[in-house]
Amino acid sequence: MSEQTASSVRYVEATKRYPGASSPAVDKLTLEVPAGEICVLVGPSGCGKTTAMRMVNRTVEISEGDVLVGEDSVRDREPAQLRREIGYVIQQVGLFPHRTISENIGAVPQLLGWEKDRIRQRSSELLELIGLDPELGDRYPAQLSGGQQQRVGVARALAADPLVMLMDEPFGAIDPINRERLQNEFLRLQAEIRKTVLFVTHDIDEAIKMGDRVAVMREGGRIEQYATPAELLMAPANEFVEDFVGADRALKRLALMRVRDIHLWEAPLAHVGQATGEVRAKLESPDVEVAFPLLVDAERRPLGWLSERDLAAEVVPGRPDSPLGPVLELDDVMRDALADLLQHETQYAPVIDHAGRIAGVLSVEIISEFLGSPEAKSDEHPAVERPHG
Amino acid sequence: MGNPFVVAAGEVGGDFFKERSSGTLPCQADESHLFCFDWAKENIDRYGTPAQQHLEIVLLSVLIGFVVAFALALLAHRTRWLQPPLLAATGILYTIPSIAFFFLLLPLTGFGRDTAVLVLSAYTLQIIYRNTMLGLDNVPDSVKDAARGMGLTNRQILWKVELPLATPEIIAGLRVATASTIAITTLVVLISAGGLGTEMYGSNFNFPTAILIAVAIIALMVLAFDLLLLTAQRLLTPWRKV
Repeated sequence: MSEQTASSVRYVEATKRYPGASSPAVDKLTLEVPAGEICVLVGPSGCGKTTAMRMVNRTVEISEGDVLVGEDSVRDREPAQLRREIGYVIQQVGLFPHRTISENIGAVPQLLGWEKDRIRQRSSELLELIGLDPELGDRYPAQLSGGQQQRVGVARALAADPLVMLMDEPFGAIDPINRERLQNEFLRLQAEIRKTVLFVTHDIDEAIKMGDRVAVMREGGRIEQYATPAELLMAPANEFVEDFVGADRALKRLALMRVRDIHLWEAPLAHVGQATGEVRAKLESPDVEVAFPLLVDAERRPLGWLSERDLAAEVVPGRPDSPLGPVLELDDVMRDALADLLQHETQYAPVIDHAGRIAGVLSVEIISEFLGSPEAKSDEHPAVERPHG
Repeated sequence: MGNPFVVAAGEVGGDFFKERSSGTLPCQADESHLFCFDWAKENIDRYGTPAQQHLEIVLLSVLIGFVVAFALALLAHRTRWLQPPLLAATGILYTIPSIAFFFLLLPLTGFGRDTAVLVLSAYTLQIIYRNTMLGLDNVPDSVKDAARGMGLTNRQILWKVELPLATPEIIAGLRVATASTIAITTLVVLISAGGLGTEMYGSNFNFPTAILIAVAIIALMVLAFDLLLLTAQRLLTPWRKV
């Protein structure tokens, strides 16, 4: 991919006053977004987050102060020229209904005077990047689903390889299942293209999921806390942030963790043909929390749980009495792992590594102990890898 | 100048029925006949010139009306406060009864085609102006917002986004304006501007055949223009077929 260019964005006491309003919509906002990162502006409606975002491409004119893209003030730029260098994605997508998908994607390159062949090539390249069938390029927007339209909206914003992307509640109008999918797709895309992204949302869960950094804002565009999602959840700066993040912030922490980040139980292992007495002895060891032995093959891959009836025999049978149930992976996001356990109505499940070998057992108990521990609430826990890292 | 209706009708009517060499046809004399085919066969060529005049007046009027109304709409689109006064002005023009409008203008512009075109194009303003504004207003805000955010200038937004998207409404306005102009043009005979009205008002009211032929030509004209404009719309707005 050719996209390697991104610029930092710096607000310097940026202020927006609307005529007739008693207080500024955005009051002396100072904020720095490093190049290549996703910064989420989150806050209740009317907090000025969208106004702040729109200052960057001057769809909102700055009253006082400045916004710098890279080293350059946006105030020195001709607005239309500036906007062609900044990707723009909005909630209602705003595709041109009278242009085909390819023409929509090629809109900014066309404004920039690219050659026809280069535009066509770029369009199909982007269709591929967002995972749309290239044949859809000749369709009109009305022929696409909402989710497909928003993907095209993202592709259109990326077409001219912008320095910065502005995304205003881009997935806000999509149903929850597709929203999740689009968020994941965008994170995967971002891992590849590394744009500087200003992302506006009122949904704290989305902010935590999408942001490298999250700026929690309140009225007047005042930043209450600007931190990584983990910091935000572990150490809210004040009551406003704490309220906004929600009482379930410990639970939200799970979205940032992988199964490998928590201390797992050891599984009492059993092999086919092993004497059951040996296995029983293992179960009685004080460190073993699991009530039943896990049957594994020669490669230590789990086959199933042994029951009391299995253990009544002389040797371990080749076919365990109980099914294996859910199997988790070390790389699973903790929240999904918990959801898996709850959905299967099971207390615990084996965890495997990427080779499929047993790595331990995760239980509802481990998670609830973690949530109740000071570790979940303090910042002592080591910073965790970003889910899309 | 006396009664203009009499003057006008007298001028165009003349010896409408007597000039044909074959004299009075049997079905022409019989008032119970609704349509006299023999007469139609012999006299169809009478309608050539009036139909052509009719067509010219309609085309000229709609064209001028469109240019003026379109310009006014673009002006009002950019200068929002002009919208109510322009709507009122075009609306008032539209409410003037057509016969009164023709005769009010006679002292200023005289008999003939100019007056006819002036009045008829004034009548088209309201519908074309209103539909153009409607079409521009119907463009979704999100599309305009996206266009602006992507770096289209205001002029580019107007010509590349707003007007193409307003095409269906603009053409709908043209269709209504053209159909009504074709109908009202039958009245311009009253100010000696010709058209198919000559074959209606100049005729014997007891002889419907002459009028029916004119009506049929007018109906065909309306139909043809409607189809033409509809086809144009289909070609101009391929995205709406989907």
